[in-house]
Amino acid sequence: MREVLMMRFSEIHLKGLNRPYFMRMLVERVKEAVKDVHGHVWLSDSRVYVSDFDDVEEALRRTRKVFGVHSVCRAVEMDKEDFNGICEEAVKLLADKQGTFKVEARRSDKRFAMDSMELNRELGHYILQKLPHLQVDVHNPQTRLSLEIRDHAYLYTEPLSAVGGMPVGTNGRATVLLSGGIDSPVAAWMIAKRGVAMSAVHFQSPPYTSERAKDKVLKLAQILSESLCGLNVHLVPFTKLQMQIHERCHPDYTTVIMRRCMMRIANQIAKQEHAQGLVTGESIGQVASQTMHALQCTDSVAELPVFRPLIGFDKQEIIDLAIRIGTFETSSLPFEDCCTVFTPRHPATKPKLNIILDGEAKLDMDELIAEAVANTEIVKL
Amino acid sequence: MEIYLDNSATTKPYPEVIEAMASSMLFGYYNPAALYAPAVAAEHALAEARAAVAAPLLMKQENVIFTSGGTESNNLAILGCLKRLRGGGTVLYSAAEHAAVRNACLEAEAMGFTVRQIPLDARGSLDLQALEAMLDETVRLICVMQVCNETGIVMPLKEVSVLRDRLAPQAALHVDGVQGYLRLPLNMKQLNIQTYAVSAHKVHGPKGMGALIVQTGHKLRPLLVGGGQQNGLRSGTDNTSGAAGFAAAVRRYPADAADTMRALKAQAVESLQKAIPAAVTIGPGPEDADSAPHILCVSIPPVKAETMVHALAQENIIVGTGSACSSHARKHSAVLTAMGVSPRLMDSAIRISFCDQNTEADVQTAVRAMAEQYAVLSKFTRR
Repeated sequence: MREVLMMRFSEIHLKGLNRPYFMRMLVERVKEAVKDVHGHVWLSDSRVYVSDFDDVEEALRRTRKVFGVHSVCRAVEMDKEDFNGICEEAVKLLADKQGTFKVEARRSDKRFAMDSMELNRELGHYILQKLPHLQVDVHNPQTRLSLEIRDHAYLYTEPLSAVGGMPVGTNGRATVLLSGGIDSPVAAWMIAKRGVAMSAVHFQSPPYTSERAKDKVLKLAQILSESLCGLNVHLVPFTKLQMQIHERCHPDYTTVIMRRCMMRIANQIAKQEHAQGLVTGESIGQVASQTMHALQCTDSVAELPVFRPLIGFDKQEIIDLAIRIGTFETSSLPFEDCCTVFTPRHPATKPKLNIILDGEAKLDMDELIAEAVANTEIVKL
Repeated sequence: MEIYLDNSATTKPYPEVIEAMASSMLFGYYNPAALYAPAVAAEHALAEARAAVAAPLLMKQENVIFTSGGTESNNLAILGCLKRLRGGGTVLYSAAEHAAVRNACLEAEAMGFTVRQIPLDARGSLDLQALEAMLDETVRLICVMQVCNETGIVMPLKEVSVLRDRLAPQAALHVDGVQGYLRLPLNMKQLNIQTYAVSAHKVHGPKGMGALIVQTGHKLRPLLVGGGQQNGLRSGTDNTSGAAGFAAAVRRYPADAADTMRALKAQAVESLQKAIPAAVTIGPGPEDADSAPHILCVSIPPVKAETMVHALAQENIIVGTGSACSSHARKHSAVLTAMGVSPRLMDSAIRISFCDQNTEADVQTAVRAMAEQYAVLSKFTRR
């Protein structure tokens, strides 16, 4: 008898002929997640199991974060031939419960002597005898006790929900523009949840932004890397370009021109990373650079498709998600990022493409972009 | 080579300090409370260190309690004093106090004391008229720092002491000497100061080491209980290597350090004014009698302080913004706000603080770099 974690997976069930590929990837991701707690991972009969871990709580926390896992149960694995032992263990699991319960047995091993109904009846009867303060309610029980008869017997109470989604790496790669704010880490997380491997681009403008701002972005990336199964962070020196935009372009247009330059740089880095798309944390109308007009202007320089998973979200919805994925606290640290350094008082909310193009014509853009890309520092997490 | 001009945040330990600490750890590692001979030697070394730390204040080794630093010393002086008192009363602290003093005083509020802040004048000095109006028979404790860590103003401790003796003789006077110790002379007995807090790492000693100097006869209650070390006032095995390092720093500290630093400060102000006419000194200028020798607060609008700090750091020149202990929180300085400094000047206020190791060439290089950065950065600000 031992304690194991038993995982159900989410959409992988819907896959057809390539289902084994997705399952293999999921097992790989779970293995990476529990490596530090020395968990042993295996796939059996449409479930992923982890056993022999050092710390069950930590193993549970980590597996619940793996994309592709639908739910995780702390289950007791037992010899299925020892029905008395199963009954006694069931009584232990329910001993501190109150009110009503239900036994939900499932017999995957059809050679097992008792069928599901018999198992429900016999186990329920035993529990009622030993724990007379409990009552059975088969429709709305307060506690569900599950018994699965597979190669072993598995006994557990409530399964804990996990993040869902698809295993990272099953769906190509994207590059996120990571600012250090609240939104972009959430956007990265949402795209990664669909199985997309990630890399990140961060723009820094020393001396206007500090070492601490860089440190903050790397902390955020570190938090994300747990769910994202690692990521490369490209730190792009952006000051020169920003100063020239500030010097030579119409003040109301500096933000949108800056965003377009960021897109161009991100495009080049995404190609280096063999990514198929860009990801941003933009949401319509949140700030001047995120109006429909402004988004149209930034999109027109992006050669790769730009994914904006937060596009219809309110700020509070984004914050709620950031809290859930654990990035909110770090995102809220008060270090200026390059986007806010030279914010004009009245940025154009309906920028005109001809004015943008006029402004860009005054810049040594290709040269400065090439310089920024060439001097990019890569941190591998 | 780095030019380090943030000596009010911390200082680089003297080589003698590192040697003394290494030697203490290698050869004098015994617990001074033990019975055998080497432990007795450790106890003697500790007593000598106390004497060394007390000497500049004309006090004796029995007046010294070693602590973990300035924060603990201030907490022990304030809360340790108030814990002894029954029946409440008033606690006064100056608006320039460091958070370690301010927050300890605010703690006293929960203990039933009335806590009031003594305002500052426009130069950042204590408003003595306001203090006079606040002093009465209910005042139990007055906290005034020796030197303001943000503006470098020297507080009028003599006047405070005279006012206290006349209007509230029952009140204890606590002085946070973290920025004043060794850099300015102070006679604790003459000024009738009951407690004085110092920190080793501000005078080229080790971090995690400080002391509270307590006037003979002034009673305190401990904040930490345990083995009853240091007359029961600060339990915990004595930090012998820290004490050795602290004492070495005090012994090594040059007698003419203040003159050296004062000259550097005057040079900095003069050359800054030439190089950057927009630069404004906040608080006292070097010519003022109440200007500490080592701290210069200067605002360089429109360049934001943090931008200038980062720009200089890229050139290996280290200066500070406001009070380093709280500069992670990007709020306006409470001290500069209390002085009525405009937000525009506060945003651009950097703190240059000297030590005896800095040279005229350092100041020259730093000012030149500031002027060069200013020429570029002042053009690129938010429009």
